[in-house]
Amino acid sequence: MKAINTRLKQSLNRAFFVEPNDLGFWFLTSLFKKTTKPLKTMPFIIVIPTAFFIAFVVYLILGKWFIRLVSWLQYGF
Amino acid sequence: MVFKILMNLLVSSILVLRNFLLLIFSPYKTMRKIAQEKDYWQLAVIISFVLIYFEIANKIRRFNYSTLLIFIVFLSFFISTVFFFYLLGKVYNKKEELKSFFITFSYSLLPTLVWFITNSIIYYVLPPPRTMSLQGKGFSILFFAFSLSLFVWKIILVYLSVRFSAKLSFYKIIFLMILYLCLFFPISIFLYQLKVFRVPFI
Repeated sequence: MKAINTRLKQSLNRAFFVEPNDLGFWFLTSLFKKTTKPLKTMPFIIVIPTAFFIAFVVYLILGKWFIRLVSWLQYGF
Repeated sequence: MVFKILMNLLVSSILVLRNFLLLIFSPYKTMRKIAQEKDYWQLAVIISFVLIYFEIANKIRRFNYSTLLIFIVFLSFFISTVFFFYLLGKVYNKKEELKSFFITFSYSLLPTLVWFITNSIIYYVLPPPRTMSLQGKGFSILFFAFSLSLFVWKIILVYLSVRFSAKLSFYKIIFLMILYLCLFFPISIFLYQLKVFRVPFI
């Protein structure tokens, strides 16, 4: 029983290590929680497809400047 | 004594690799755990990775300055970043600890390190400039998407570093990050002009 209490206490301490975010308005807080939830675990499931979509859109907008931008980035190490 | 140091380094290297993988799959929980770490060896391991990277990159593509000088500039930049968030965070929260900032911010270097290492390998395998051919365009989209993904991961990790080290709310963190960019981005551009950093963000 004592071990369970200690573990429960540890879990609660971990969960309340920081105060939950409050953005002032309930709908903003709710939107923030909904948006950030998928980023807390396995963010790349969302990030990679979005990055490909953005890359394609940027390519359509910039054209040959996009290729120059990538070349510049490749020189950037 | 030497054996003890080697053992500490080995154990910390394993922990860094484990945390590195966990930061990919569950950045929030992992960063929260890292913020409560007390092991400075992990910081030493990550900083050593950066030094090794500079040494290897200098062999692939000659830097204008010595590796040691670039490393010292990087280290000064890193320490200034940590102190910036620590001192300004202290205005809002007096209970924060400096060591937590050092460890979490060192872990937030990992996306940058992955980008720079991958870029060095790609530079060696597929040297720029890219062309307007189908392969060139395809590679450009792939490389841009890869860079963007790592950049988003970097932003998430920096946000979580400040969140768990300074224990601040969303608005305060965003305010500090904007203030940081206003101060440090011109310095990055200046270092880029001096050819110390080839891309003005690290």
